[in-house]
Amino acid sequence: MIMRTVVVVGTLLLGAGAVLAQQDAVKLAQDTMKANGRNMGTVLSPMFKGEKPYDQAAVDAALNQFEDTAKKLPTMFPASLKDAKWEGDFSPSPKVWEDKAGHDAKIASFAKVVAEAKAKIKDLDSLKANFPGIGKECSACHETYRLKKG
Amino acid sequence: MLRRMLPALVVVAALGCAIFWWLTMPVTVAASSLPAYTPDTANGLTAFNAGGCSSCHAVPAQPDRLKLGGGLAMPSPFGTFHVPNISPDPADGIGRWTEAEFVTAVLKGTAPSGAHYFPAFPYGSYAITRVEDARDLFAYLKTLAPVSGKVRDHDVPFPFNVRRNVGIWKFLFMDDKPYQPDPARSAQWNRGAYLVDGLGHCAECHSPRNFLGGIVAAQRFAGGPNPEGEGWVPNITQKRLGEWSAKDIAYFLETGMTPEGDTAGGSMARVIRNTSQLSPGDRAAMAEYIKSLPPVEGPPRPKKAEKS
Repeated sequence: MIMRTVVVVGTLLLGAGAVLAQQDAVKLAQDTMKANGRNMGTVLSPMFKGEKPYDQAAVDAALNQFEDTAKKLPTMFPASLKDAKWEGDFSPSPKVWEDKAGHDAKIASFAKVVAEAKAKIKDLDSLKANFPGIGKECSACHETYRLKKG
Repeated sequence: MLRRMLPALVVVAALGCAIFWWLTMPVTVAASSLPAYTPDTANGLTAFNAGGCSSCHAVPAQPDRLKLGGGLAMPSPFGTFHVPNISPDPADGIGRWTEAEFVTAVLKGTAPSGAHYFPAFPYGSYAITRVEDARDLFAYLKTLAPVSGKVRDHDVPFPFNVRRNVGIWKFLFMDDKPYQPDPARSAQWNRGAYLVDGLGHCAECHSPRNFLGGIVAAQRFAGGPNPEGEGWVPNITQKRLGEWSAKDIAYFLETGMTPEGDTAGGSMARVIRNTSQLSPGDRAAMAEYIKSLPPVEGPPRPKKAEKS
């Protein structure tokens, strides 16, 4: 009897744990993408457009965060997220898992562009030359692997 | 009684058929109506980029946007359309078309065979384009590399596969008069309206459609369900874009980046690949026009969970 209770409770806890882990993984993906968006929208874009002065420290912080994203991306969408609940405007397309090779290639391409940007962006001119390439990587992946829900 | 009514019924039926036939007659542009003209391929390139031709006609899943062999499958509530080859290949593309046939296709939505095109080809928008721009576009397309390979037929079930019926659709939803500039607005605004409403064909996706596939005129640009299936196309009237400046819109058309730092996804990523090639002046014009669209409430969006 005790044994059975342990098993049942244990299974329930494991199940609940899996759901919690799933929601944590969803939150990690969303928080990472939102942070990327903030760096794009409030740091790099305004400098690119000339609305804010060039600030190397802020550029470095933004690029480091992209680099960190590139490191997290390969494991950011595990198969366990296929049936997860995504709140907000966007969700991953099923193609993330159906075409894993294609998705991985996009991540590798993003990582490469970020690494190059980190090496090259030293002033406003080099920012202007390299910044649009980063946005293109975001867009190229979102084109196929992200769905807009509303 | 019946015998006396029969001749009348036959006459009414015949008259009905005649009206249907007359209403659904495909319109063409006669070669004789095109005056002598030296096309400007540079302007043709602008028309090509503004028109987003390559978004649908480029061979899918390869990087060259000038390889116009077609083949993209375009799902819709009426069946799946398979985008044709518009490269200058003489056998499989438009290599043997005359200029008048091309102008007819783009401005009137009528094929060289005399059949109606399905409105998945956005001639409903292209119709307002200046004939010169269409002629320049034709000259530009002829400079591109031919791509061989005929694209399979559309997979559209009855009754939508009866092309003659498309004439009714055109009668109901298409206004093929050339663009009329609004003298009360600036030249830039008029250029923007011409590009957004015509070649840009933005309303084709950014508007809800009725059950016949016609754009709901009162909700033009107010967004709606993605006609290609999953997802939602955003409202681009000031209802949704009120916080975007005209500069933000132009910047988005150039880079695909929103003021919040998000990037265009889905089909819009392909659109940006075209608009990014336009001149800054044309993007600014489109932005000025879009910024001027009065706020319109779109169809109700699908319910979503509260944001955490």
